[in-house]
Amino acid sequence: MSPTDLPLSIPLAELRRGETAYVSGLATSRVLDDRSEDVGALLVRLRDLGFVAGARCEIVARMWLGGDPLVVRIGGSMFALRRAEAAAIRVHRYQERLSPSVALEPKDASAAVV
Amino acid sequence: MDAAVSTLPLRLALVGVPNCGKTALFNRLTGSRQKVANYPGVTVERREGERTASDGRTLRVLDLPGTYSLKPTTLDEAITRDVLLGRVADAPAPDLVICVVDAVHLPIGLRLALEVKRVGLPMVLALNRMDVARRRGVKIDVARLSAELGVPVLPTVAVKRGGADALIEAIEPTRWPAARSVVAGQVAAQVTTNGRDPRGEDAEQTQADLRGVLSAIGYSPPVENHWAARVDALLLHPLAGILVLGVVMFLIFQAVFSWAAPLMDGIDSGMAALGGWVKAHMSEGPMASLLADGVIAGAGAVLVFLPQIVILFFFILVLEDSGYLPRAAYLLDRLMGWVGLSGRAFIPLLSSHACAIPGVMATRTIPSWRDRLTTIMVAPLMTCSARLPVYGLLIAAFIPREAIGPFNLQGLVLFALYAAGIVSSFAVAFVMKQFAGTRRYSPLMLELPDFQWPNLPNLLLGLWERVRIFVSRVGGIILALMILLWVLAAYPEPPPGATGPAIQYSFAGKLGALLQQLFEPIGFNWQISIALVPGLAAREVAVGALGTVYAMSATGDDLTAQLEPVIASGWSLATACSLLAWYVFAPQCLSTLAVVKRETNSWRYPIIMAGYLFALAYLAAFVTYRAVAAWS
Repeated sequence: MSPTDLPLSIPLAELRRGETAYVSGLATSRVLDDRSEDVGALLVRLRDLGFVAGARCEIVARMWLGGDPLVVRIGGSMFALRRAEAAAIRVHRYQERLSPSVALEPKDASAAVV
Repeated sequence: MDAAVSTLPLRLALVGVPNCGKTALFNRLTGSRQKVANYPGVTVERREGERTASDGRTLRVLDLPGTYSLKPTTLDEAITRDVLLGRVADAPAPDLVICVVDAVHLPIGLRLALEVKRVGLPMVLALNRMDVARRRGVKIDVARLSAELGVPVLPTVAVKRGGADALIEAIEPTRWPAARSVVAGQVAAQVTTNGRDPRGEDAEQTQADLRGVLSAIGYSPPVENHWAARVDALLLHPLAGILVLGVVMFLIFQAVFSWAAPLMDGIDSGMAALGGWVKAHMSEGPMASLLADGVIAGAGAVLVFLPQIVILFFFILVLEDSGYLPRAAYLLDRLMGWVGLSGRAFIPLLSSHACAIPGVMATRTIPSWRDRLTTIMVAPLMTCSARLPVYGLLIAAFIPREAIGPFNLQGLVLFALYAAGIVSSFAVAFVMKQFAGTRRYSPLMLELPDFQWPNLPNLLLGLWERVRIFVSRVGGIILALMILLWVLAAYPEPPPGATGPAIQYSFAGKLGALLQQLFEPIGFNWQISIALVPGLAAREVAVGALGTVYAMSATGDDLTAQLEPVIASGWSLATACSLLAWYVFAPQCLSTLAVVKRETNSWRYPIIMAGYLFALAYLAAFVTYRAVAAWS
C-alpha cells in the first residue's frame, strides 16, 4: 500500500485539476537547476511545508496555458506554486490504483478517496 | 526567587507560521493596537507589547515575524531565528517562547514547534483556532500532545474575548519560577557553548519526530470545508477569478468616490463656516488671516479627504483579514512575472495604494533581492492616499458628476488614474527587467490561508490607527508647512497703491514666478508652482497650499470662497489634466524616499527613484497638456 511500491513517479505539475496523488519525494528539476539561486534551500522549504513522502496532495486550481502557477492542497493547507517548483515534487497518481475508466473521470477528489 | 530577579521584566516571544493567528493572540495578551492580517507578510515590524502579571512584574511580549522554519529564506524569517538564538543585539533571547500553532493546520505548525523546541528555550504551546478545528473534525489529544512535547499545551481562540485566558494564566511568572532562574542560564550556556543552529542534519529528525507525535496524539486532519472549496473554485478560476478581482477593485474605487461624497460635503461646509466665523468675529489683521487663510483653509482642504481615505483603508483591511490577498497574488503571478515582478509583489503593491511606506516595508517578505528591488522601485507609482486630495479636488472641479450607465464619470476618471499608476509600474518593471540581464528563478510558494470573516474589533483598531496617523500628519507636518507658506505668502506686504493681489508681491509670489519658468511648458500657473514647493515634502500638502495661496490672492469679498469653484473657473482643462498626469508620477514624498534609503541601505536607489519619477512626471504632464490643449 505504501506509495513507494508504485513503479513510476511523475512531477506534481503534470497532474490535472482535481487530481489526487501521493508525494513520493523531492528531486530537482531541470528548470530549477538552470535558474534557481539555491535549489537545496527550495527543496528543504518544500519539505517543511509538508511535501514529504506519503503526503496526500490535490491540485485545486491551475492557471491556463501550462498551469503556471497552480494551487495544491496538502495536509489541509493550500499553497500556490509555480510550475518549476511543482516540477520538483514527484508524485504517484492516486488514480493509478483504480481502474482506468475511474481514473479518467474528472471527479471531485474527496469522492475518489472513499 | 529573590527580589533582584523579580524586578526584571520577563521577555516573552511569540513564534508561529504565517496565518496561525499569532498577531491576534499578541493583541489579546498585550491589548496593543496592532493590525491582524491574514497573509504572510504583514508582520514585518518588530512588535513589542507589555502586560503586567498578577504579581506586578512586567511581561514584555515580542511578536516575531511568522516563519515556516528556522532555516530562513527571507529577512523576516532570519530575524525570527536570530532572536530565538539570542543573536540580535537589542533583543536578548526570550525567557519564554510562546509557540503558536494553528490547530486546523496542525502538522505544519507542529513541525516548527519541534524545531523551536530544539533551540532549548522554555516554551509553551498555544493551540490556536481550536473552535474551528473542532468544528472541522480535527482530533487532537491535547494532554498527550503536552506529554509528547514535554511543554504545556494551551488551547486558545485568539479572536474571541476570553479565548486566551488559559494561556494568560500559563504565562504568569509564578507558574514559571524554574524557567526564569534555572533554564534561562542553561539556554545561554547551550547557545554559546555548542552554538548549535537547528538546521541541516536535524531536519530529517524533525520530520520523524513530527510523524511520531502526530500518530501518538491520534491526529486526524480537518474535513474539507465544501463551502470554502466552492468559493475557491470561483476565486481561483483563471477567467472567473480574474474577473472577480477586477470587479472587486473597481467597486472599491467607485465606493471611495460615491460613499465619501456626503461626508466630504459636510466637512467642507463645516470648515468654510468655521473660516467665515473666524473672519467675522476677529478684528482684521495678521492673526485672523493666519487662522482663516493659513490654518483653516489649509488643513481643511486636506481633512476633507479623510472619508475617502477611511473607506479605501477599510476595504484593504477587509481584503487582508478575509484571506483574499494571497489568492489575488496567485491570479496575478503570471502577469506580474511577465513584466519582471513576483506575484508576491501584489501584497506590497496593494498596500502602496494606501501608502508607499508600509508597501516598501512589506517587500521584506520577497526572498529574491532583485524581485524586491523592482517592487520597491515601482511602489511609489501606486496611487497612495496622499494623492487622493489632489485627484479629488481636480476631479470634482473639472469632471462633471454624470452617470455613464451604472457608473459615475468621476469614479471612472479616478479608476483611470489608478490604472495609469498600475500600468506605468508594470512598464517600469518591464524596462528594469531588460536592464537586469538574465533573471534567476525565485519561487512563489505562497500559502493561501483559510477564508475568515474579518474580525470587527481588529478591523476598527486598524482603521483607527490609519485615521490617527493621517490626522496627526495634518496636525503636524502639514500644519507647520501651511503656516510657513502663509508667512511666505503674506510678507513682504504689497507696496502702497499696489493693484494686484497681495500675494504677488510676497516671497511666495516671487518664488512662484520663478518656478513658473520651469513649469510653464506643462501648463502650471504661478499658484500651482508655489503650491508644489511645500508639496515636494508631502503630496497632499499641495492642496492645502493651493487653499492658502488662493485664499490670500483673492481680492474683494470672496475671501472664504472654497477652492473647488475657484480653480474650476480659473484653470483650463489642459492645466488640470496636466497636473493630474504630474501627480501620477512625481515622487513628492520625502518619507518614501527616506524609507527606500533605509530598506536598500544606500542612497543610490532613492536618488535613481526620484530622478526617474520626476522625469516621467514632467514628460507625462507635458504630453498631456499639449494633447488636451490641442484637442479642446
